Amino acid sequence: MQSKIHIKQTQKRHNQWLDNAIKYILMGFAILSSSFIFIIAGVIMVKGVTPFITNNGGLGRVNLADFLTGSTWLIGESFNSNLYAVGFLIISTLFIAFLSLLISFPVGVLTALFIAKIAPKKLAETLRTVIEMLASIPSIIYGLFGAGIILKLVYDFSTILGFQSKGGNSILSSVLVLAIMTIPTIASISEVAIRSVDKSIEHGSLALGASKTQTHFKVVLTSAKSGIFTSAILGIGRVLGEATAVSLVAGGRRSGINFNILDTTSTLTTMMLEGMKETTGLDYDIRFSVGIVLMIVILITNFTLNYIKRKVGNVDVK
Amino acid sequence: MLNSRRKKDLILQSITYMASFISLFVLISILLFVFLNGFKLLNMDLITHNFESTSYIADLKDFTGPGVFNTNKDFDDHTYYSTKWGIALSDSENLMGHTIVLVTYVHEDSPFNDLRNKGVATQDLMLDVDYEIVRIAFDDGPSALSIQGAQNMIQVLDTKTTFRELEYSTSGGGIRGSIITTLYLIGLTLLIALPVGVGAALYLNEYAPKNKFTKALRNLIETLTGVPSIIYGLMGLALFVPITISLTKATGANLISGALTLSVILMPVIIRTTEESLKVVPDDYRHASLALGGNKTQTTFKIVLPSAFSGILTATLLAIGRIIGESAALVFAVGTAIKDHVSIYDKSTSLSVHIWAMMTDEPANIELSTTIAIIILVIVLSMNLSIKLISKRLLRKYGVTHE
Repeated sequence: MQSKIHIKQTQKRHNQWLDNAIKYILMGFAILSSSFIFIIAGVIMVKGVTPFITNNGGLGRVNLADFLTGSTWLIGESFNSNLYAVGFLIISTLFIAFLSLLISFPVGVLTALFIAKIAPKKLAETLRTVIEMLASIPSIIYGLFGAGIILKLVYDFSTILGFQSKGGNSILSSVLVLAIMTIPTIASISEVAIRSVDKSIEHGSLALGASKTQTHFKVVLTSAKSGIFTSAILGIGRVLGEATAVSLVAGGRRSGINFNILDTTSTLTTMMLEGMKETTGLDYDIRFSVGIVLMIVILITNFTLNYIKRKVGNVDVK
Repeated sequence: MLNSRRKKDLILQSITYMASFISLFVLISILLFVFLNGFKLLNMDLITHNFESTSYIADLKDFTGPGVFNTNKDFDDHTYYSTKWGIALSDSENLMGHTIVLVTYVHEDSPFNDLRNKGVATQDLMLDVDYEIVRIAFDDGPSALSIQGAQNMIQVLDTKTTFRELEYSTSGGGIRGSIITTLYLIGLTLLIALPVGVGAALYLNEYAPKNKFTKALRNLIETLTGVPSIIYGLMGLALFVPITISLTKATGANLISGALTLSVILMPVIIRTTEESLKVVPDDYRHASLALGGNKTQTTFKIVLPSAFSGILTATLLAIGRIIGESAALVFAVGTAIKDHVSIYDKSTSLSVHIWAMMTDEPANIELSTTIAIIILVIVLSMNLSIKLISKRLLRKYGVTHE
């Protein structure tokens, strides 16, 4: 009897030990997963700072101020120089992001409104599936679509305008590809925001004599403002970070700020991919510096938009 | 007044209608573009063939003279068979639209099974089905060229008793290597990401106390979703590539570093999806298990985890879809060299990177790219559909209605 109790107790202690061990292993997994954001930032910082503080194998230090403001990107291997600059890339990246949001934001929000409020149930369900399918298509296929169809259309369009386009590779093509990629993101998040608008606000508007369309545009959309703004922030995040799809239609521009939408361009991400197949030394390390710039651009854009979102204010939906 | 309002309403409404049909239009045009362009190359050869085609110039080895090689195989009207040499040829067209001569059948005793690479005397070669014959040169008389067609080539061959050299190229344009790479990447990534991701989700949902630290962990994991994939690629290049080089026999970017990078990308998706399915498991299950004397570990792994199976399955499917579609991160972490002989310690391309590598080459190969795109689209869209079905069933199982 005594020994039986003893066995039970050791078993219990053993179980407790196991419980704790498992708990700490799982906790380790959770901490590992969450620490990766620091690992990513740290690793890229360390690599990306190298070009500014070392001699770069005889090419000399890259000047940080010139790097951030200049408007020429020289390929180091062929020009054998340290003259890399991303100033013009930052501007063209933001320009492209702005233009593509100019297309995808109204289209996405109106689609969301249509699905949430206007469309009959069957049609809404179909369109929702269409949006989900579009959201799941990998970006490389959007790029392929851009290279196969949009480039041709843009080329013909610029021929009509009398502009000799480089095979259609242009700001316009990049903007169109990015716009159709962000429509599903904006539409699906805005739809959730629109559907969560309190019914009583809507009823109040209708009771005051406003028509259904007026209610949708003036009451529902303004009430869902905060959620719609969030969708735009996520959309612009996707635009700024997109790489492979844009690299197939941008054309690759090495110098000069360009605002002619029919001419070639480059973004921070396409420049990181450019010539990636065969490169070493400074030309390789500088990509990490561009990565830091990209992360900072995304962070600043996010902070600014979030600030605006708070400033614009919030209609209390609940 | 009322009339102008109605007009305004009508305009606004029609704008809404038009805007929402843009998405439908875009989806249809993408599908049409991909299928119309890529369909003609879609067949089994594509999946089994190598990508690189190699050209050889060969002559006959230990040749004793032509014989009589009868066959009871049926050939169609455009295939020409030489009983003297035991080989059947047919006319075809390559991707550029040029006429080419393809081998459609080689008799098992045919002298074409016994060839020798000219110049490199040690390499034995043999002709196989779907190889492309460029020319056959003879000592007496002009060469038979592929441009003159298969019929001419067979007729010339039948008049000769031997030939000086044969130039041919093996069949290329297949994507076997990239398919194998993609499968390796899926397997390796799931092997790494699923245990860690599901473990982290179990901790957050079952063990973690509700305090600031847990909240911080959740927020940090959520932040990962906002990081663009090209940044993950840089991280893989700077961190995982050196690690794998020092631990394995790899010398550069490799599939293991790619799988590690993909695992980090997928971590937030797997954790969130698993956690959502853990949340719908009713607390009664946990209480019942504990009341029956099960300890925490038993309850978690034998009661809660099996109930969350469909959530983990959803996470797996989402992960597979993401791995197949990922391109920017893999360009950095696995490289862009299209390989036929895949090793996990070497560079290679997944299907998406294969498209990117071909599209950034000069000239871009849109036909083959769209064919690969068909494969990717079919897999990704069917994954999406099954996820929808699974989550519907999961919700029904626990009596949670949609919305």
